[in-house]
Amino acid sequence: MASAASSASAIARSRSQAMRARLTAYGFLAPAGFLVLVFFFIPMLLILFLSITNLATTNFTTDVWRMATSRDPKYIVGLDNFERMFADEFAPKILFNTLFYVLATLLLFNVGLGLVIALLTAHVDRRAGFLFRALWILPRITSPAVYILMWKRIVAASPFGILNQFNELLGRPEANYFQGEAWVFIVMLNGFIGASFGMIIFTSAIESIPKDLMNASLVDGSTIMQRVRYVILPLLRWPLLFVTTYQTLSLLTSFEYILLFNSGGPASQTEVWSLAAYNRALNTYFANAQWGYGSAFAVVLVIIGVVMATVYMRVFRFNELVAEPKIEVL
Amino acid sequence: MKIVLENLTKKFGTVVGVDDISLTIEDGEFVAFLGPSGCGKTTTLLMIAGIYRPTAGIIRFDDRVINQVPPRDRNIGMVFQSYALYPHMTVFGNIAYPLKLKKVPKEEQAERVREVAAKMGIANLLDRRPAQLSGGQQQRVALGRALVKQPDVLLFDEPLSNLDARLRLSMRGEIRHLQKELGITAVYVTHDQVEAMTMADRIAVMNLGKLQAFDTPDDLYDRPKTLFIAGFVGNPPMNFLEVEVQREGDTFYAVNSALRVPVPAERGEAAARHGGQVIMGIRPEDITISETGTVRGEVFVVEPLGRDDLLDVHLDAANRLSVLADPAVHLRAGDTVTLALDTRKVQFFDPQTELSLLWR
Amino acid sequence: MATFTSSAPTQRPLTSQEYRYRQAETGELVGQAIFTALVVVLFFELGVVLFKVLGPLIQSSPRFWGSDLKVDETLTRALANALTLLAPFAAYVTCGARLRELAAFDRRRAVRVALAATIIVYVLVTMGQYVFQVGPFAEKPSLEMSFRQTDEGVLVTGVVPGGTADRAGIKAGDLIVAIGRAPTTADELKEKIALAKFESKIGLRVSRDGQEELMPVEVVPVMEIGLAPLVGGLILALILAVIALFWPGGLTPYVLMVVIMIPLLVGYLWLIVATFSYRTEGLLPVDASGNFGGFTLRNWEFLTRPGTSSYPSIWRITLNTLVIASLMAIIVLTVSSMAGYALSRMNFPGRRAFLSLTLILHGFPAVTLLIAIFFILRNIGKVPVLGDYFGFNTRGGIALVMVAFEMPLGVWLMKGFFDNIPWDMERSALIDGASRWRTFWEILLPQIRPGILALGTFAFISGWGAYLIPQTYSVGTRTATLAVYITQLTGDTAPVNWNEVAAVGLYQMIPVFIIFIFAQEYLLNIYAGGTKGTS
Ligand SMILES: Nc1ncnc2c1ncn2[C@@H]1O[C@H](COP(=O)(O)OP(=O)(O)OP(=O)(O)O)[C@@H](O)[C@H]1O
Ligand SMILES: [Mg+2]
Repeated sequence: MASAASSASAIARSRSQAMRARLTAYGFLAPAGFLVLVFFFIPMLLILFLSITNLATTNFTTDVWRMATSRDPKYIVGLDNFERMFADEFAPKILFNTLFYVLATLLLFNVGLGLVIALLTAHVDRRAGFLFRALWILPRITSPAVYILMWKRIVAASPFGILNQFNELLGRPEANYFQGEAWVFIVMLNGFIGASFGMIIFTSAIESIPKDLMNASLVDGSTIMQRVRYVILPLLRWPLLFVTTYQTLSLLTSFEYILLFNSGGPASQTEVWSLAAYNRALNTYFANAQWGYGSAFAVVLVIIGVVMATVYMRVFRFNELVAEPKIEVL
Repeated sequence: MKIVLENLTKKFGTVVGVDDISLTIEDGEFVAFLGPSGCGKTTTLLMIAGIYRPTAGIIRFDDRVINQVPPRDRNIGMVFQSYALYPHMTVFGNIAYPLKLKKVPKEEQAERVREVAAKMGIANLLDRRPAQLSGGQQQRVALGRALVKQPDVLLFDEPLSNLDARLRLSMRGEIRHLQKELGITAVYVTHDQVEAMTMADRIAVMNLGKLQAFDTPDDLYDRPKTLFIAGFVGNPPMNFLEVEVQREGDTFYAVNSALRVPVPAERGEAAARHGGQVIMGIRPEDITISETGTVRGEVFVVEPLGRDDLLDVHLDAANRLSVLADPAVHLRAGDTVTLALDTRKVQFFDPQTELSLLWR
Repeated sequence: MATFTSSAPTQRPLTSQEYRYRQAETGELVGQAIFTALVVVLFFELGVVLFKVLGPLIQSSPRFWGSDLKVDETLTRALANALTLLAPFAAYVTCGARLRELAAFDRRRAVRVALAATIIVYVLVTMGQYVFQVGPFAEKPSLEMSFRQTDEGVLVTGVVPGGTADRAGIKAGDLIVAIGRAPTTADELKEKIALAKFESKIGLRVSRDGQEELMPVEVVPVMEIGLAPLVGGLILALILAVIALFWPGGLTPYVLMVVIMIPLLVGYLWLIVATFSYRTEGLLPVDASGNFGGFTLRNWEFLTRPGTSSYPSIWRITLNTLVIASLMAIIVLTVSSMAGYALSRMNFPGRRAFLSLTLILHGFPAVTLLIAIFFILRNIGKVPVLGDYFGFNTRGGIALVMVAFEMPLGVWLMKGFFDNIPWDMERSALIDGASRWRTFWEILLPQIRPGILALGTFAFISGWGAYLIPQTYSVGTRTATLAVYITQLTGDTAPVNWNEVAAVGLYQMIPVFIIFIFAQEYLLNIYAGGTKGTS
């Protein structure tokens, strides 16, 4: 029959058709795939490898391949770095610091304050809301050096310090905030930056709440408090989860402000894990950059990151996201 | 362009969207796909358009198998229920887009767009954007866009369901007229049977992914081949009663606990040949309320339809009939009526296979 | 937050039925007050317990935590102080909107309930503080003696019998002339005591009957309960409660907003003041001799200064920053929208895998790869031609790394936006004769304009302020962004002009601030497509 012959040729054509459709899809994905490969995948392998070397300024080379294939004990030191890391007298302290820093900043500022700002700005005049939010974005767009300069001036000793100027006015003794309250200020200055991310996401979520819902609740004669409690917050569940998980990871790896503020403080007072990795591996300030040792610190973060990100995928119910496309051809 | 579907099947994972459909649409024919929601009409249409790839089966345009031909090489025009106009383009841009993609020269584009726009009565709207148009106007733009590239096949997916009743009526006529004038093969998906009956040359009735019937409107109405068709086509729907057909001399009677009515000999014979236990179908408009009636029943519900009242009459516990009555008679629930059944168009079905016993 | 209630009090007379209904509520209100207060107090005291109880526990197991872990006392104290201030608010939360309703027609009773609630809360808070010895009940370092400044020196006016000063041999009437060798005043001595550690010793040089003698006095913890702060606090709380009761609801968000922003406002006020003055002391601009004044424009001279080899002109740096930020925004948009489109709308083997990868990367902290990427860039640098544009210490390389870090978020957002476009639109374009590329470019991209603007703004802002990556992957000022340039201004051997640093900082901020003001509307669309796909 004619149809049999033509269906055979149809099958042959279908192969090339499917191929072309795939190629188109991969074409769209290629740039992203390239970036993932070069800046995520390979680095991840690389950092695993570096962590078993003792690469430092003294024996520096960028020829990773040669180093790996040479098996030279001058470079490859096995798990020494990890042993050293766990034996490091500051390691437990740094771990505790990290935990404290992430939790305090996240709960009080990145989520807490972000939500408060979003709710407050949603309940003022629209223009005023825009202004307030613009002001809150300032910390994020200020150059870190200047932002830190500002905070340093706030807590500095007399006669420069702003807080100490107030102390003087109130007749209180001068305080050394760098010593006693270093944590308070580190959490605060990081939190003031972090809050704007939550603010944007939450505001955006609040704005996308259907007006009908708000009006219905207004008609019911609810107070603002009740609207927040019964209408807004339940609808903010997802953004809340999103900001919490996302910001936990961001905080876990953000160290530049601590670095600039007090570089982790005297004797690792306020050093966090990511800063430790940076200080050991990249900070030329310490003369001898220990790439290998620093990588061991980073590996710990990578592991935490992968684990958390996987949790994150669960939270976001990945399976609901992969609805089949409703166009099946080129 | 002739369209041939051979054993066409579409599965979405385990869900069967379209199940083994075979039919042939002749060149220049207007075919309506009719069926309840979710029966696979849109899926079939999208396979013809080339958006979905059939899981099995073959689609031909004339003699060419086009299963693997991408949509842009099929030369079809399609009108969507949502119109799917491009909101960032003007009406002119929308209609000209297919021509632009065909690399038609600018001047010719403009000329053809204006021609189509004039035909659709939207020549004065060319500079507007879709958001500034009424539903009816958007509909015309969508139709214009489908027509402008002079397609071999026109596909419609419930194009009128978002319009008000009056506009729907006039658009029906217009679409039908255009299609005949241009002689383009058209496939028209709808779940409105009046639309299908009035517009289509032939109607393909679908249910649960399967093709139930493919016939002219008259045949579907007067000679339904299955119980489903009989019940689906026609409004208010046909009444079904379980009866036994008995022969008394030359006369055949349909008999059950509530009635005993004579039926035409050739129909009665077909039913009796089957053993007698059959399902009888009779349309409400073939039942009249009259003093001379032979069937008694009690009015249960009265549903005013405007021109008529629709009565739900219970003959006994097992048998009920929908009957049309003159509102002037003022029947109310609880009244007793006598009914006369005009059995000239009565249908008989096999209770097991649900196939008609008359038209095979 | 609790003070959001907006409805203006209605001034119509009440029916007797309504009145009776309100009357029945008083008991309920007070009950609520007690309950909420308990919850509030419990919540905060829990924090205190955490520090008070867990702290020493952690400290006592040095093997696990390291030896010199010190639990921060200041935090404990700050929390405790916050408690007292929270009292009136707790009371307000308690009775909340209904109390304000009551206030609209029965002021007296409303005030009475508010005051009662405040007192209950206050008492509970104070009790809690007493139990945990924080706030006004915190133990302070003391020498258990009183003294005041006289012309000859610091005169001891009394000692606690049997106290630490008594034990050390100090008597009323003694004259303290110095701490160790350093002469002292009463104020200095007070400060010294306040900062001293418990059980340490302060050596006081005491002059008695012309004889000088060094007397080491041990610092002991003493709980000084001043009645004044307690009563003062209560009165303040009561006043605040009444104010809260009659406070116009619409004003609250503004006031709260401003209060929360005080640190920010102060900081940026300083920044602005600093850029226009020679020096600052606190918030005040001062001249060379330390007097108020000293306004100048010299900090802004950098705008006109010509470039040198080590310090390019600011305009070059600005251009650099602009190039990097725009480049980054454009690349992020291109890459993310393409990938987002494919993931949202196309079917191909590996789709699921790539989708989950994006999701993981979206949450993955890319900064951890900083070290490894250093090596990648170094190695790209070795590739001929390509290396000159994308290697270590090139603008391209820096932009690329930043793009990579920004991309997972971008892909994710874009996929969300594409998901929201009706399928029929794209089908229609395909039937009209477009290829997937053209559909993407001509039909779909225009539909996600809000998403593009949102992501573009986001990427531009983060590119403009980029610091860590340019700082890490560039040397010198050839590829510096403004943020790096500023850091370099501060890191030199020459004396740093901090006020100029502030000026450059302000200069860098202004364009983005303006962009943000205008683009905020778009940025706020982020949620519309971005994170919603999941809910
Ligand atoms: N992309 C898809 N993925 C999975 N199932 C689908 C998909 N498209 C359609 N289906 C299923 O296939 C069946 C037929 O759907 P189709 O859209 O063709 O119905 P329809 O006849 O057009 O209905 P309606 O009149 O409501 O438009 C339905 O059960 C539907 O749930
Ligand atoms: Mg459909």
